[in-house]
Amino acid sequence: MGSRRLVLGGLSVIAFALSWELLLSTVVRWDPFFITKPSLIAQAVREQILGGHLWRDMAVSAQAFVVGFVMAILVGIPVGAVMGWRRRAEYALDPLMTALYASPLIALAPLLIITAGVGIAAKALLVFLLAVFPFIFNTFAGVRCTDPLLVSVVRSFGGTERDLYTKVILPGVVPYLVAASRLAIGRGLVGILVGEFYAASEGIGFAISRFGDTYRLPEMFTGILVLAVVAVALTSVVRRLEAVVAPWRAGQRDR
Amino acid sequence: MPTPGGASERERYTWGIGFLLLPVVLWEVIPRAVPLPRGVRLFLATPSEIALAFVRLVEQGEFQQHFAVSAVEFLAGLGLSVAVGLPLGIVLGRSRLLDDVLDPFVTTLNATPRIVWLPLLMLWFGIGIWSKVMIVFLGAVFPLLINTYEGVRNTDRLLANMVRSFGGSEWQVARVVALPCALPYVVAGLRLAIGRAILGVVVGEFFGASRGLGYLIASAASSYRADVMFAGVLVFMALSLALTLSVKVLEERLTRWRPEATKTF
Repeated sequence: MGSRRLVLGGLSVIAFALSWELLLSTVVRWDPFFITKPSLIAQAVREQILGGHLWRDMAVSAQAFVVGFVMAILVGIPVGAVMGWRRRAEYALDPLMTALYASPLIALAPLLIITAGVGIAAKALLVFLLAVFPFIFNTFAGVRCTDPLLVSVVRSFGGTERDLYTKVILPGVVPYLVAASRLAIGRGLVGILVGEFYAASEGIGFAISRFGDTYRLPEMFTGILVLAVVAVALTSVVRRLEAVVAPWRAGQRDR
Repeated sequence: MPTPGGASERERYTWGIGFLLLPVVLWEVIPRAVPLPRGVRLFLATPSEIALAFVRLVEQGEFQQHFAVSAVEFLAGLGLSVAVGLPLGIVLGRSRLLDDVLDPFVTTLNATPRIVWLPLLMLWFGIGIWSKVMIVFLGAVFPLLINTYEGVRNTDRLLANMVRSFGGSEWQVARVVALPCALPYVVAGLRLAIGRAILGVVVGEFFGASRGLGYLIASAASSYRADVMFAGVLVFMALSLALTLSVKVLEERLTRWRPEATKTF
């Protein structure tokens, strides 16, 4: 069944690209300011990979993304753990965090960029703001789902508070964290893109919007393709990881 | 262990509301009490200034004008995504072939932030409302499509076959088994879709727009009118919360019978 899906999927992608190419080469008179052909995109991809600013742009964006993402992990896990373990903390933080999670924090992008400048800081902050909440809420959920029986066992065998964390709570939280990173990757990428669309001098988002502004469609599609490849690669790595640490979730599709 | 009933509930609300109000109070008090550098003051508006700015915007009618544009984009984009996402989700859920054929496109588009298409959409649809409607549509259609698909796929085979063995038509199978089974998924999809749609409206209006709440925020930010900017941001947050919560209430009513584990996506 898996191979059938792969074959049919591959065939449909090839068919899509071929009919796009053929339609524009033969039937339709097309305007290069509005649409482009797969062959031209392929050529642009080759040029961008061999020369061009592609690698540089990717490195710039990746740097901001990684900084923001690591900050989100470093802040999100402790906050979520405290919320899960201390009732008062849950009471205090849950409404505030829920409100922030549900609101479109991306609306703060102009403020962040105007205060922190067009460099890495504003973008990293934006990624952090968007990516931190999945970590908070998933750690929270993971800690709350800790089996009280296991906690009692550790306690009655004279385990310390530290044993409790390293042997029971943390292993239980790991699957939740993997799920959180899948959500956070998507949100973080949005942060990078919006930050770079808004104001930047380099980066993959900047490249895409600049090529769009200058009607260089093959190059713009190159940027979009690269971003799609990165997003799909990151997501599938996390999904593999998820299948290892939380086999019961495998097979569910991305939501 | 929590004490059953009143005391614990009261404590919960006290702490929760306290920590919601605390940042607001600090935000109001600190700039008054501590002399902040001018650079910081420029970007900071206290809650009272923001409230005043909001009242001013409403009185001048500026707010209503921007709000109307954003609302139209939101509703048109969301409506379009429901009109496309639901039928396509049902079809993909029922047809193995179409599912296999379209899967690479759905998966790739869903994994890639849809914002990436904004420059292209602006080329194709211009800087008017249509490029925003399309970005809202692209953002909102996948949660709806995928959740409908999951809902249809998770239809209980046994129940469906039972309706068939008692002489039920396919239409009856759909009405009695498939639809009730898929409905909670669809509503959950709608909740996600609303969040994505609002994101689309905000970001779409940041770039190359001349009206709408997103434009209000972006233009206020670039002219250092922090009070107006925060007023716009807070309006977005309030709208987003109100919409998400109301769908959540609906969702909880519809999913009372579902096991806990399947509720969290």
